[in-house]
Amino acid sequence: MRLTRRQLVIGAGISGFALASPGLFAELAGGTAAVPILRTVPSSGESVPAIGMGTWITFNVGNDPYLIESRTEVLKTFFDRGGSVVDCSPMYGSSADVLGKALNALQAHDQVFAATKIWTADESATRTQAESSHNRWGVARFDLLQVHNLLGWRGHLETLKEMKADGEIRYLGITTSHGRRHDEFARIMETEPLDFVQLTYNVLDREAESVLMPLARERGIAVIVNRPFQGGALFRRVQSEPLPPWAAVAGIGSWAEFFLKFVIAHPAVTCAIPATSQVAHMQENMAAMYGELPSESQRQRMAAFVRSL
Amino acid sequence: MTDVAWLSYSLQDFLMFGPQVFLRLFIRLNQDFWPWQLLVVPLTLAVPWMMCRPTHAWRRLAVWLVAAAWIGSGAGFLVRYFGEINWPAVWFGWAFVAQGLLIAVLAICCHSEAIPKGRAGVFTGLWLTGVVALPWVTVLQSGELGAMAVFGLTPDVTLAASSLVLAMMPRVWLWPLLPIPLVWVLFSAATYWALQLVWFLLLPAATLILFALGCWLSPSLARSQDPQSGHRGPVRR
Repeated sequence: MRLTRRQLVIGAGISGFALASPGLFAELAGGTAAVPILRTVPSSGESVPAIGMGTWITFNVGNDPYLIESRTEVLKTFFDRGGSVVDCSPMYGSSADVLGKALNALQAHDQVFAATKIWTADESATRTQAESSHNRWGVARFDLLQVHNLLGWRGHLETLKEMKADGEIRYLGITTSHGRRHDEFARIMETEPLDFVQLTYNVLDREAESVLMPLARERGIAVIVNRPFQGGALFRRVQSEPLPPWAAVAGIGSWAEFFLKFVIAHPAVTCAIPATSQVAHMQENMAAMYGELPSESQRQRMAAFVRSL
Repeated sequence: MTDVAWLSYSLQDFLMFGPQVFLRLFIRLNQDFWPWQLLVVPLTLAVPWMMCRPTHAWRRLAVWLVAAAWIGSGAGFLVRYFGEINWPAVWFGWAFVAQGLLIAVLAICCHSEAIPKGRAGVFTGLWLTGVVALPWVTVLQSGELGAMAVFGLTPDVTLAASSLVLAMMPRVWLWPLLPIPLVWVLFSAATYWALQLVWFLLLPAATLILFALGCWLSPSLARSQDPQSGHRGPVRR
């Protein structure tokens, strides 16, 4: 695959980031220089950071200048800490517009791995909606276009295949969430040439482990994980609970890190996309992209611990 | 999507925005609309006085003010502000505008009766509760004085207070005016519940209570309960 200037910028940014920011990484890793955890997109061999950013609810702030500025700071922190994959959808209200304004304010179009979705029952409207999203984000082209929640997936996937062949997008995929329609999802994974799938997976919602994630590995499909915090419910579950003492041994310093490292340590996972509206939370999320990942036995212990709460 | 799949959704799954963003809408509206609140609030406070006048023209003016409040909160708060972050709000906004126009037309077509003198004080007290006390709900919830929900600019306070005036309408005209308020009450209550804005739940609750009290205060009901009234209902021939 030929790399564009923008891909080179992202790749160079990711790989050179640790070297260029020794102070930051010394801080992140408790004094030891750290490199971000990257994952490979099986269909291309391209490396992407294992922690991305979702925008559902958090970036839907309308035209509020104060909140747009605050979300711009969140995005800046995300990029500063080595992130690049940002996911959105036309379903998310004003999120795409806010993202576009933030990218413009940061002049960060070259830093973002732009992933959005097609969300319309009109299967002939794929290009129209993609064009609208283009304008809202202000990016030259999308890296990844996904069919949102399988809505009109047959028609949209055909068009996305054409767009990919024409170089209008780099990757295509499908999404689901909340564990819905996994049977149909698996059938599409088995029969269609997908680069990415997006699904819900977290320390409590592990249905994807049984069929979808092994299938993704077998078929060479990258996996983006949504709802890694179960929409915030995991934090409410552990709110008064301190981290277990053994978490520190596994290199985990916060509950956000605990939940995210559980997710990205799964060998099928390419990237998790937590969403947040706060800089401090973004910093915690991005810390999960550095240091050690839990082993399989540690992951089982983590899941058992959260279930017991 | 199958019917069974829909059952797996919770109210929270339909929320597109967070509580902070919603509360900021009130602050932005008040900032952008300033200083027109200085005109809106005195007019609002004059409504009970107008409603209790024996002259029909004053009562019609009061109903027109209520109609303008529906149009203002629909086209302003719902379409222009809330609609940015929640697309159903745009539909509700235009429904509020339509409701306002309908109320304005009905104010011309039908002559509402003056509130009986004995109940004018109660009406005034309830109206002031709606337009003076309820706006503080948004302040209590957000902790920001600038978030105050002004009658005529924001939908819930407008609906709660104006439900008193709607209840004064002759029964035959009241029915077409009920669907939009009822659907909004359900929608807003579900939204506030999902956002966990506990204080905000007072607003749909207050709307229902004020409407019930408004019906109790309405001149037609008062007359039917008055043994001295000459009105005996339709004569059977």
